[in-house]
Amino acid sequence: MKRIFKNIPLYIGILSTLLAFSCKPEIEGIPTTAGEADFSKYIAVGNSLTAGFADGGLYLEGQQVAFPNLISEQLRQVGGGNFRSPFFSENERNGSGYLHLKDLVNGQPVMENVTDHLAYRQEGKLTKYTDDIENLGVPGMRLDLSTQDWFGGLNMYFERLLPDSDVGSKTYVQFATEKNHTFFSFWLGNNDVLGYAMNGAVTNPGDPTTVLTQTATFEQVYRDFIGALTTNERKGVVATIPDVTAIPFFTTVTREALIAAVKAESGQDIQDIYIETGAGTAKAASDNDLFVLPFASAGLLGSTSAENPLPYGLHPDHPVESKYVLDSDEVTTIQARVKAFNGIIEEVAKEEGLALANAHAYLNRVKNPGIVYNGVAVNASFITGNAFSLDGVHLTPIGNALIANLFIEAINKQYGSRIPKVDASKYRGVKFP
Amino acid sequence: MQIKKLLLGLLLVSPTLLWAQGSQVNTQGQKAVGMAGAGSALFVDETSIFYSPGALAKMNQNAVSVGASAIMYRSAFREFNSNDVHHTKFKISPPFSVFATFGPRNSWWKAGLGVYTPFGGSVDWGDQWPGRYELNHLQMRAIYIQPTLSFKLTENFGIGGGFVYNVGLVDLSRSIPLASADGTPGRAELSGVGTGMGFNVGVHYNLEDDFAISLSYRSQVITKLKDGDAEFTVPPALATSFPNTTFDAELPLPSSFNIGLTFPASERVDIAADATFIGYSIYKELVFDYKENTPVLEDTKQEKKYENALSAKVGINYEASDRLDLRIGGGYVYSPVRGPYVSPETPDNNRMMGSIGFTYDINDRWDLTGAYVFQRILERTVTSANTGLSGAYKTNIHAPGISLTYKW
Repeated sequence: MKRIFKNIPLYIGILSTLLAFSCKPEIEGIPTTAGEADFSKYIAVGNSLTAGFADGGLYLEGQQVAFPNLISEQLRQVGGGNFRSPFFSENERNGSGYLHLKDLVNGQPVMENVTDHLAYRQEGKLTKYTDDIENLGVPGMRLDLSTQDWFGGLNMYFERLLPDSDVGSKTYVQFATEKNHTFFSFWLGNNDVLGYAMNGAVTNPGDPTTVLTQTATFEQVYRDFIGALTTNERKGVVATIPDVTAIPFFTTVTREALIAAVKAESGQDIQDIYIETGAGTAKAASDNDLFVLPFASAGLLGSTSAENPLPYGLHPDHPVESKYVLDSDEVTTIQARVKAFNGIIEEVAKEEGLALANAHAYLNRVKNPGIVYNGVAVNASFITGNAFSLDGVHLTPIGNALIANLFIEAINKQYGSRIPKVDASKYRGVKFP
Repeated sequence: MQIKKLLLGLLLVSPTLLWAQGSQVNTQGQKAVGMAGAGSALFVDETSIFYSPGALAKMNQNAVSVGASAIMYRSAFREFNSNDVHHTKFKISPPFSVFATFGPRNSWWKAGLGVYTPFGGSVDWGDQWPGRYELNHLQMRAIYIQPTLSFKLTENFGIGGGFVYNVGLVDLSRSIPLASADGTPGRAELSGVGTGMGFNVGVHYNLEDDFAISLSYRSQVITKLKDGDAEFTVPPALATSFPNTTFDAELPLPSSFNIGLTFPASERVDIAADATFIGYSIYKELVFDYKENTPVLEDTKQEKKYENALSAKVGINYEASDRLDLRIGGGYVYSPVRGPYVSPETPDNNRMMGSIGFTYDINDRWDLTGAYVFQRILERTVTSANTGLSGAYKTNIHAPGISLTYKW
């Protein structure tokens, strides 16, 4: 009897150990397959979103979580090959520099530029990266300028990727179509409206990045570009262009918020903010007129100057300049243009049998009603909405992961592939101080 | 532009704190464990305090027993459209039970005291799995203290009842989707102790040594958790929005009604069957009341919408020799949890149980009982109504246990 008692802990110990190692439940996975597609050499063609631009800059951490990079990791399970990006080196990890949230003062964000470990070889020129790459995203790339050889000399992100001999002589179309890819993602065209919209629907003379691209130009370049990428029946995924009113850059600084801010600051009981419309007239802003995000920090509202002693924005004779506001007519024009562009994108996708990631519809859903992803509220609110980074335009890491899943779903649907989804909950929203 | 207003968009999903069906692994008496939970009519001993208070008075002698189980939950989760399977870390939760009887030998009455843990468990998914914003870890235990009186109204008919005092302990954590400067998410930790009261009544009837029936009812026990600790680890700039505070919550532990039958199949073989109806429908919602509220830390109300549940268990007791009894059992439990309300704390579904057990009479005074029950919570693919987390859960529960009885 004594022996039995003495050995009880031993019996329990042995039994527990056996159970611990032998009895984990297993759950059968999904059968992954590439379907009709060949992912052995995937290239990503696009702009800042493809490059992983975030928080107003291109920097290593953003590059690493760019949505094509997240897609490429998933493609490894279905025959995907090497996917190389023009990463900044660890020592130059902050790349172009970017915004970070320094503090919250009375609930207001205080932002600051990161200025160390930058990657400039000289002013306005980044350290070159001319090795072979598959992430071909170039911040600021526009569809209309993708056929212009001189753009390589104007855009520092494109210049960075070109050997000196190609700068000013190679177009982005040429650059992107000589990689012998087997599969591509293509998300261009955003800047063909955004460059214009972010400048308050004002085209700066001599600045081709603030032009609103004509629909005919868009259609021709889009068809030619996709035509070059789909030779030999190569497959790919294209994405629609988001609605400008879906991004916090245009929805954070509202008329209501500005009036409240003036009241809080000066105690003045004001009713209206006056704006300069695209037509050059002044009017009282309505809730359909959208102020750009940088207007909040420009410090102009209510200010006076020697030439105009009337308070800025608070008097019809000193309205908020057109470049800071998309008036409702301009919003209508831009939305109509986006619609036209997306019509072309959908048509081309259909004709060429390409997968279509409907980013326009998805980001509208993020804006309203918002989504809940594994317990994370994702919406278009600035800073707290999790989807958009501190520039109010580009995505956070979790935003990138969600877009990666949107692309993956589209690819799976079109090509009968089963690429597993990205665990987006691994990725963060905005970093708080 | 007031960010405080904007922060409303963050709204924490309320903590998923409950004593779920999944946490109910009945290990109060190892004899019954060996028969997958059946045997309330068969075993007339000190564990009748829990299983069948009406049977207690039929005990001739007195006894005290001490038992413990090592419950091991092994849960797995695979997110929808993903091939990454996540497992809970290996944890043992050790529910214990102590039963003691008092009273004259061969009398018409018997008193008893039971201290046992009818609900409890420990799961740890860690902070790297897709449901991290729903749960990192949860540990909980409800300890019931039950003084009981039982009377023999006739030689064959016994009735009994007890008062239940419950002490509940809970400790859970989850990630908060707010990244700090180094990119790591925040964390909420909640812990507290609650108390509640209820009762347990039952009758037991037997025909000589043949057939016996047991009916018992355990009331619901509303456990009130007061002034639990809520601690938040968030980026410093947001600390004022997440003050470390206290919370109150109410956790209803369900009532249950049990019918047990037993009859001999041969001289050495007894068969026992039990059916239990569990009143989980009282569990409609979970309200969480934080003492200090901020625009992001508001009181929460989470829908649970549980349904009543049912379990059925059958066991065989084989008297291998004068000193040794061997047991085997099986059972099936219908889950009270609807798909959208399944949560990772104990991802519930219908479950199957299988068990083996023995009792060895060491001598006239000492008995040693051992049992092992395995439960498989069937695979279930769900999309959480609260968090949107979508995927398949599967759980194995192992519970080896042992108890020692001293009779006089």
